[in-house]
Amino acid sequence: MTRVLTAGGFAEEQVRARARDGAAAAFPRREDYGRRLFGAEGTPRAGRPGDALESLRLVPPVFVPQRLEKLIELAREPHYGDVDLATTVGGFRSTAPLYVSAFGSTQVAASGLGTAVSRQAGRLGIPMVVGENIVPTVGYRGSDGESGMLARLSAYESEVPDGFGGVTFQQSTEDADAEVWNLLYSAPSAQKLLDSGRLAFELKVGQGAKPGLGGMTVVDTASAVRLAEHYTTDDVYGDGRHVLRSSSPGTFTEEILRQQIRLMRNNYPRARVWVKLPPGRDVRRAAAVAWEAGADAVTVDGAEGGSGWAPLSFLDHVGLPLGECLQRMRAWEERHCLLVSGRMWEGGRVARSLALGARAAGLGRAALLAVDENPDDGLDRLVSCLLLELRLLISALGKYAPGALGPEDVWAPDGTGTTPAH
Amino acid sequence: MSDTTADQPRPTLPAHLQDPVTRTVVRVQNRIVQAAREHLTGQGFVELMPPIIGPVTDPGGRGSKQIDIDFYGHRYKLMTSAILYKQASLLAFDKIFCVAPNVRLEPLETANTSRHLVEFRQLDVEIAGASREDAMGVAQDIVVQAVTAVVEEMSDDLARLGRDPQAFAALLKNDAPFDRTTHEEAVAHLARLGHDQNPDAEIDWEGEALLSAQADRPFFITDYPKGSRGFYDREDADRPGVLRNYDLIAPEGYGELMSGSEREYDYARIIARMRETGENPAKYAWYLDMVRAGIPGSAGFGIGVERLTRYVAGLDAVWQATPFPKTPGVVSA
Repeated sequence: MTRVLTAGGFAEEQVRARARDGAAAAFPRREDYGRRLFGAEGTPRAGRPGDALESLRLVPPVFVPQRLEKLIELAREPHYGDVDLATTVGGFRSTAPLYVSAFGSTQVAASGLGTAVSRQAGRLGIPMVVGENIVPTVGYRGSDGESGMLARLSAYESEVPDGFGGVTFQQSTEDADAEVWNLLYSAPSAQKLLDSGRLAFELKVGQGAKPGLGGMTVVDTASAVRLAEHYTTDDVYGDGRHVLRSSSPGTFTEEILRQQIRLMRNNYPRARVWVKLPPGRDVRRAAAVAWEAGADAVTVDGAEGGSGWAPLSFLDHVGLPLGECLQRMRAWEERHCLLVSGRMWEGGRVARSLALGARAAGLGRAALLAVDENPDDGLDRLVSCLLLELRLLISALGKYAPGALGPEDVWAPDGTGTTPAH
Repeated sequence: MSDTTADQPRPTLPAHLQDPVTRTVVRVQNRIVQAAREHLTGQGFVELMPPIIGPVTDPGGRGSKQIDIDFYGHRYKLMTSAILYKQASLLAFDKIFCVAPNVRLEPLETANTSRHLVEFRQLDVEIAGASREDAMGVAQDIVVQAVTAVVEEMSDDLARLGRDPQAFAALLKNDAPFDRTTHEEAVAHLARLGHDQNPDAEIDWEGEALLSAQADRPFFITDYPKGSRGFYDREDADRPGVLRNYDLIAPEGYGELMSGSEREYDYARIIARMRETGENPAKYAWYLDMVRAGIPGSAGFGIGVERLTRYVAGLDAVWQATPFPKTPGVVSA
């Protein structure tokens, strides 16, 4: 057990328990069986005040025609193990409606945890996003061979099963200077994934933890001198040893977004195109522009998302919660690929997101905490628990694939939700 | 023409240089460049010596990568195209040209297109106050002058290369403008041929070869969509999303010979276009300072010297048209 990280305000202990115990953590402690009565608690376990997504309940129906279809197919009563979680995520085939969210050049991700996550994400056959600013900050290869962009790529590729998964590389304004996408598109080490259609590029328009701002890290003063040519640095600490390093968030209009996506499709015809949006008030319009321009996936990071450095005022006060993003986007009306992230670590929240139109959910902090708990198979165990929960939940709703979930499966107690369960 | 040579192992450098074909091709190439110089100089163009390095260069496209060098602690680039310096040159002369070396680390998928070199020369032209049509006329004249000079003066060399001068009959028989087709028409034509071409993007390598194979003289493709080209190609004021640009496509399957356009010269529009093409304007400080102070509107183009040589000499692959070939992904002298 390494325990380098903490994640106050996040469901840290629950995630760590899953990283230790795997699927068994989907249930109360086994030792309490036969000795304790269980029922719903008065408040959502992992929710935060005002988190609309947590306040929704999943409501199974009495009549289950899709279960009858499955019964006919199987010639026996279906059970939760018959739920097929494989799906398509941003042009990739994935074993589950999950992916690993981007974490970039922060000290946490560069510490070796990023590589551990990569290896396990590959093993699981779920897509992984590699975050921004790694090349200009840490390097293409990385000085220690552990933290650079290529290390994450090769760790993922070393374990990914044939036909599943894929790696998505983010690029932001400063990354454009470093030509991250060009580097990868012609890199011999990326050709295998490229040839098998499992390489994507993600245009980073913004992020959940600090919408309106670019990436932020704390760097030592020696590094600040090296980075000052390409980044803003600010001596907010005044200790002579550390400074705040900020990226530009970039400038986007509808036309700039549309044309950047078209240019990506023009320049990298063999790569998939992903677009990551912040939880902005015009998120529905921005997603529509991205899809119209040909994006294979749009990722929306709810205001609950993020793993990197961010101002406290942003964490508590800025951006739309994911539940509100989903309700505004009404993605269940479309067939586009919407990916969402923000406090994802257990099946209920993922299932609610899928019901509200998401194709898959991204694991960010949860993935880092899981490998922090157990670098060998912490993410494996966390995901195995989450997948069991998803199978249980989806089958309870009388359905057998994640794409079958819809807004009819959720209910908002205060009437402010989307379509009430009926 | 066939693509077979593209897949064959390249000869080692001494063998390539000593090959009679290489020597003949270099002589033909000499004559092509000489003819272009004679023509342009006669038309009042001034030849400027282009830079090889700079803090910024043409961002390029289609996955090609720039080469960074350390310039006294600063990141400089090898030129991928002279375009930014061509616009600057018009502060000195109204009509300029240069024969410029360029380096682009093309993606590995271009290794077998028969027409990509990592290191190549470009015959660049820029004309202040010119329209796209003016520039297309100059481009056509250069090709016709070069082909005429080679056909009239180098019949023995063409014979040694197995190039039938009749291949140029349609090109030389009259001085009518080369045919023109829009990008939209080209996409529709490719659809009729069963080729799935993205309507928002460059004509892909295969599509370009298909169109080229159906022609018997060079032709222009105009009006590429925004999103397929760099920030300096001017957007048509009357047709948003359409660029005032063109490519010249060789016949017989040889593909693209040159790209050109009317240029964007308005400061605010250039900044917006830089963002649309994913560029960070902060990189382009000297260029933007110059544009803010004012540069003339212009039109111009760049002809790939090795590509034109390949077409005129009838070579299988563009690497045969240079004495020191560097093809994508191949470690060579």
